[in-house]
Amino acid sequence: MTQAQASSSKKKISPLTRPTRRLLCLGIEGSANKLGVGVISHSPSPKGSITKVTVLSNVRHTYITPPGEGFLPSDTARHHRDWIVRVIEEAVRKAGVRWSDLDCIAFTKGPGMGTPLQVGALVARTLSLLHNIPLVGVNHCVGHIEMGRQITSSHNPIVLYVSGGNTQVIAYSQQRYRIFGETLDIAIGNCLDRFARVIGLRNDPSPGYNIEVEAKKGKRLVPLAYGTKGMDVSLAGILHSVETYTKDKRYKNWDDLSKLSAEGREKVDQDQDQDHNQDIITPHDLCFSLQETAFAMLVEITERAMAHVGARDVLIVGGVGCNLRLQEMMGIMASERNGRVFATDQSFCIDNGIMIAQAGLLAHRMGQTTPLEKTGVTQRYRTDAVHVSWRA
Amino acid sequence: MSVATSPYSPSAYYIKKGELIKQGAEARVYSLPSLFPQPTIYNPSSSSSSSSSSTSAGSSNPKPNSDLKSRSQHGGVIIKHRFPKQYRHPTLDASLTASRLTFEARSLARAAKYGVVVPKVLWVDEKGGCIGLEKVDGWSVREVLGGGAEGEMEIDDDEEVELDKIDSQNALDGSGTGVERDEQGEGEIEGVNEGWEKIRALGVSQDQLMRSIGSALAQLHSTTIIHGDLTTSNMMIRLTPNSEQPFEIVLIDFGLSSTAQFPEHYAVDLYVLERAFASTHPRSEKLYAGVLEAYAQGLGPKKWKPVEIKLKEVRKRGRKRDMTG
Repeated sequence: MTQAQASSSKKKISPLTRPTRRLLCLGIEGSANKLGVGVISHSPSPKGSITKVTVLSNVRHTYITPPGEGFLPSDTARHHRDWIVRVIEEAVRKAGVRWSDLDCIAFTKGPGMGTPLQVGALVARTLSLLHNIPLVGVNHCVGHIEMGRQITSSHNPIVLYVSGGNTQVIAYSQQRYRIFGETLDIAIGNCLDRFARVIGLRNDPSPGYNIEVEAKKGKRLVPLAYGTKGMDVSLAGILHSVETYTKDKRYKNWDDLSKLSAEGREKVDQDQDQDHNQDIITPHDLCFSLQETAFAMLVEITERAMAHVGARDVLIVGGVGCNLRLQEMMGIMASERNGRVFATDQSFCIDNGIMIAQAGLLAHRMGQTTPLEKTGVTQRYRTDAVHVSWRA
Repeated sequence: MSVATSPYSPSAYYIKKGELIKQGAEARVYSLPSLFPQPTIYNPSSSSSSSSSSTSAGSSNPKPNSDLKSRSQHGGVIIKHRFPKQYRHPTLDASLTASRLTFEARSLARAAKYGVVVPKVLWVDEKGGCIGLEKVDGWSVREVLGGGAEGEMEIDDDEEVELDKIDSQNALDGSGTGVERDEQGEGEIEGVNEGWEKIRALGVSQDQLMRSIGSALAQLHSTTIIHGDLTTSNMMIRLTPNSEQPFEIVLIDFGLSSTAQFPEHYAVDLYVLERAFASTHPRSEKLYAGVLEAYAQGLGPKKWKPVEIKLKEVRKRGRKRDMTG
């Protein structure tokens, strides 16, 4: 009766029962500036014991603020309110399902920003009452992990969860995702975003992506605060020290740089080599240094956790997880330990509705639903507070 | 394996001789029975010694030899080689490696000077990224407590075995250790039980173990050294047959250590252990109270008070706190 859901392990007896028909779940995510809605299906595959998981739709709309500004909760909530009906309609239309087909509606219960979370929960409650569909509240972090596991079919990896609000090293043990290491102050995404704001990078498509692009042009590694404390990291120090460089005399901002290059073009013949030796610090260098140092810290704590629990594989989830440099560094580390790295692309790394649907449907298949009076949202909701009933 | 040191350096020589026993988070750890080359002794005149060895071990000569090695505590050598991490920028890597190596050596020497039980430093090769240390014979606290996550990773989610582990950990929580013993037959986690069995046979309880961890930490902190990476993997239990206490706690891996005087730093150090304890040994979490109790005792009320206040603060702040509401 009990069938293994994942094909990768023979021995594992998953507590999940094999679906007898196609199960559908709509997931609504709105914990930060991304509003995402997705529909997922779990259906019995014709051959064998494998459950077929299909992403029917995955629609996202991002609230983008002008350069130098972050997203404020109230404005973000307004964005979500303006867009949520359109995004849901689009997701349902793309999935090609009727409301009566849905088995459950999953929404992000936390953690995240309060007011944007409320928008998602409110809409989920309304839809649930309208169409008489049960609700499942989902922990945002668990959503990331479950989607990552599903997409990459990595079985039991160490999870590095890196996003705008979270930086955690997680390992599964006894039906909980246990946090082995995490940031002691700000999250890595927050650190990158704030620095992007300082040097005036655009928020479109995302500040982190723009840092990644600029970092490729950087060459010089400036010394920055390196803060690992056991399996934890501290990122406030590095943000402060990289910000200090923008007040350094040697620092040239974008305007200075364009002036320099204009001058440089006139006498490009004489000092082509000299350009490299010039004692200046460019925003590119700072992006490069920030990435190199901060990611080295993340890879180091991941390696510490791997050595501590004896794991081989790493799964990177969360918005910062689509940074290719981070993936590359993690890959080198893992190969030095004869392990593997699993990462996904931006459609599943960055906050999305489908991951909420996936985690929600897993919980729903274990018989979990959230009664209406308990569908309140919470800004603080630890990853290890969730009982992962669907794993052995 | 690539050895960064010059091929003629002593470190490189010993690494080649040694046996790779572990790839930790930042270094490869090699083990050597002794710093000296294995002597082949030919002594025809003393017939008595050769006959005694032949009676004790029959035809196989290495046997008594290895017995000797494990008995002599000064024989074994551990070499920690911080090989260059390819994922890191070379400049960053070089500066981290150099600073950690020196800090490790300095802290170990300082700790030893003040009587904290740590491995002896035999040599430091900062260019080659190597440090030679006395080998600690024993088991890590994690092995003895049966750290949850590791077993599971290795067993790869075999539900049956996992349930067994849960049982055993429940048993560890209480006073009964019967289940633990039953488990020994399963081979998989044999190492876990070997250590615990031996220690238990000496009449040591879990609580006593926790208390001695606490006093070892108090001793360390009173020398103003912060360990920086306190986990149950970084504490070894060594049997001490000839002294009052049947065992001692040996703190290892001082790669992230530093010196500091503020209660804040001690509190963070303790808190790192607290979290590591909770995530590695989820079912023996309450044992941790014993660690703190002995720590407070070891430090004395005057020093403990400010640390206690800070510890409460550290627990509450940042992302580490249990998030509810």
